[in-house]
Amino acid sequence: MLRIAGGRVHDPANGVDGAVADVCIADGRIVADVPGHARRIDARGMVVMAGGVDVHAHIAGPAVNAARRVLGGERRADVAMRDRVRRSGTGGTVPSSFVTGHRYALLGYTTVIDAAIAPLAARHALAELRDTPLIDPGFLILLGDNQVVYELIREAGGGTSQTLRDAVAWWLESTGALGVKLVNPGGAERWKRGNGRLTSLDEPVNELGVTPRQVLDALATAAHELGLPHPVHVHCHGLGVAGNARTTLDTMRTLDGRRAHLAHLQFHAYGGRPGGRPRSRAVDLVDALKAQPELTADVGQVMFGPATTITADAQISAVLRDSGDAAWISADTEVETGCGIVPYTYRPSSYTHALQWGIGLELFLLSPDPWRLVLSTDHPNGGSFLSYPRLIRLLMDREYRNDQLRRANEAAIRRTVLLDDLHREYSLNEIAIITRAGPARQLGLADKGHLGVGADADVTVYHDRADREEMFATPRYVIKGGEVVIDDGDLVAAPRGRLLRAGVAHDPEIERTLRPAFERRYTLGFDRYAVSEPWLLEPARRIPAAGERP
Amino acid sequence: MPDRGLPAGCGGCGCVCDDVRVAGASISPACAPGAAWFSQRLEPALPPSRIDGREADPDAALDAAAGILAQADTPLVYGLARTSVEAARSAVGLADRLGALVEPAGAVRDGAGGRAVALRGASTATLGEIRDRAATVVVWREDPLTTHPRLLERLRLDEAQRGARRLVVVDDRETATARSASLHLRVPATGDLDGLLALRAAARGLPARAVGALTAQAARRLVDELRGAQNAALLHGSGLAAQPGGHRRVLALHELVRDLSDTCHLVTLALRRDANAAGAEDVLTWQTGFPSAVDLASGAPRSFPGPTSAATRLRAGEVDAVLSVAGDPVVELGGVPAGVPIVALDAVETATTRAARVVFGTAAVGIGAAGTVHRLDGVPVALHAVAAQARPGDDELLRALAARLGGEAQGC
Repeated sequence: MLRIAGGRVHDPANGVDGAVADVCIADGRIVADVPGHARRIDARGMVVMAGGVDVHAHIAGPAVNAARRVLGGERRADVAMRDRVRRSGTGGTVPSSFVTGHRYALLGYTTVIDAAIAPLAARHALAELRDTPLIDPGFLILLGDNQVVYELIREAGGGTSQTLRDAVAWWLESTGALGVKLVNPGGAERWKRGNGRLTSLDEPVNELGVTPRQVLDALATAAHELGLPHPVHVHCHGLGVAGNARTTLDTMRTLDGRRAHLAHLQFHAYGGRPGGRPRSRAVDLVDALKAQPELTADVGQVMFGPATTITADAQISAVLRDSGDAAWISADTEVETGCGIVPYTYRPSSYTHALQWGIGLELFLLSPDPWRLVLSTDHPNGGSFLSYPRLIRLLMDREYRNDQLRRANEAAIRRTVLLDDLHREYSLNEIAIITRAGPARQLGLADKGHLGVGADADVTVYHDRADREEMFATPRYVIKGGEVVIDDGDLVAAPRGRLLRAGVAHDPEIERTLRPAFERRYTLGFDRYAVSEPWLLEPARRIPAAGERP
Repeated sequence: MPDRGLPAGCGGCGCVCDDVRVAGASISPACAPGAAWFSQRLEPALPPSRIDGREADPDAALDAAAGILAQADTPLVYGLARTSVEAARSAVGLADRLGALVEPAGAVRDGAGGRAVALRGASTATLGEIRDRAATVVVWREDPLTTHPRLLERLRLDEAQRGARRLVVVDDRETATARSASLHLRVPATGDLDGLLALRAAARGLPARAVGALTAQAARRLVDELRGAQNAALLHGSGLAAQPGGHRRVLALHELVRDLSDTCHLVTLALRRDANAAGAEDVLTWQTGFPSAVDLASGAPRSFPGPTSAATRLRAGEVDAVLSVAGDPVVELGGVPAGVPIVALDAVETATTRAARVVFGTAAVGIGAAGTVHRLDGVPVALHAVAAQARPGDDELLRALAARLGGEAQGC
């Protein structure tokens, strides 16, 4: 039992904005009160928030692990020693699994969602997540390029069906996933044939008999009707390509009426002509988001410095490969997806990089609703999660931001509205929304991101420092599931987290449809596809479908 | 519990075929390495535990093994390529605690390690991609019909199934695969690097000198064929990689792929010899950041293949105990000096188990123990036990060993 006493509490989900209050913890949950003999943390003068929640990152699975192999240089310079509580490891933009957990906790983050796992590789991802301590992990499975899914959509005349809904629920159950991700649907199929990008949502995907728009529509509807805790999570077409905002807006219109989440919106907010110089369309995207209240998004901020691009949108990796001479990995997964990896550095002097950086800030500063547009760097694509504190300072500290703006490519910054009248500074409550309450709500995690009675006892206590970067980089206390894991700034325990997975029922008869389709296409027997091993799946919390929530 | 309904998964080579029926000493579909894998492990050849060549009480053996490892300053943990991902996790956890050197056997045995990949990356694909998309498949100095007998059949590249698709073999040997090929290019074993460079030159329209059958014209034709295919694949393995300087040849292969990737979709597949060669390296990579030659002595992972490779350290007399998990370091690393005590876990008798101070006869993954392996293309395959064996698998035994050494095998 624990009492965090006298801190200024920022708990926007419960309408608490800086009130001085005690936060009490018993049995891993927030409770109304604890007896006087409970341990007491003196938080007077400090800021108390729920543990951070990362809605979109890449931390586990074969793609992330392949990236580690080409990043030997940066990890040799960043080793992490084992100690009484910690396994050893290495850092850099893609840390080893244990170090990923340690460093998230050291930032006060306690829940992280990996946004792109090929279902065929779920076993690998789950094993890595078992070795990623201190966070409650969850992951999204890639279904937007799946040939079996395409068959089901085609059979339903280009739309959704009960069969497709059951198949989606089966896939979630068979992999332990929290939700469904679509990356540039149809793009992987094109890439594997060496025949270029899709340029329109209505272009047929080779001879598979579906269009990207049908895939978006069918899977968004299926996820919506299933009431998944997190709706379909969409990586739009044309990532990084000038003029892609047109497709992003088209995608938003296609999703109209269904809940959906748009990933790393910054990377899809460009005007201009393909092949030409990108422009900012942040204003238009913010307006469109405003008009569709059922949509949420994360920003995908670019941060200057080293990054590693890891994406199921393998075509864009080939572009990055040819833009320099870095290592390049491409990995095709049968039936399901592709993957591209290129180490990358964002430079303030580059027009494109500065524009990307500026567009991310525009999105944050123009967004009227922090609940619906939350913080991410698409770790490690736009930069490491370790850069979140600096990003928070850019949002909270106008002087610092203006100083940084002056250091960035001037022609690019002039293409944004950042030099106009964007005086906005995020408040601590707004930061609490975009880093915990908002992502938790977007993910359907009712027990995360807030400090109400009954919530998971994931709590972060910060010194209230004027330098917001330092403040958010060095929490004084972090409590995970009721256990103090950062005590006075030191990591003192590294417990394993609990898998966050969807709990959605399906008709078991769906296997009679899936089995022959799988046997035609996969080289792994159908009976070995579904994960059932307890060591990979337990402990877990099942997040029920919307209709089944109390 | 043995599951008699589901076909067995086979650990005989990197293919990990998961449709195998085992009946006594024969398996179906027939396959020599597969039959050997099962026949050598279905009936345990080793006692559950042995100390100094004599059967021993398992508890006493655990104490003896823990004593050897606890006293060592610079132990080596070796093997992991013929056991499960679960056992590899436990072994690397133990190594972290011991400050040991970790060397997976996979790359030692087939040379297809990640040094070239670490430098420049690679384009890869799972088996189904190559089966369903690759119009031309080039096999570079490998004989999968012998080493991975069912691979070509699974890729539908055997003569009966391949139709208009083409199988090109680069090799100067008259192998079974070469005999089955659509085109056999005889390139001498010393000519791999020059041959790959000739192809790179042809890809850029530059003149290149002939390397065996790979004349300038043949090189151009092959490059044109790959470019003309929407999707094509290159299969490689120990033939290219195992000899000294192998990573330079593998690097040339990946650079060729990169050169051609502007106009076609070209992938590679490394023919890993061991069922879990990929899985052992995957575990070591996610836990430490490096796939091989990981030295944990300083309290954090350091990896400099060559200086921190197990063979180098053994030769330099810098290893003072060996924990071998389903490996054979006595053969594969060129010997373990007398006086360096070995603790060995294996399902079969090897030169290493014969030389070991303490031996645990364990249940093999997919035979007497359940576990996951990552087959040669990285796809995780869950293997169930097909026989009841009254002995632990490697993972269970490593956990018991870790408990003797104080604490759990897995810290966090």
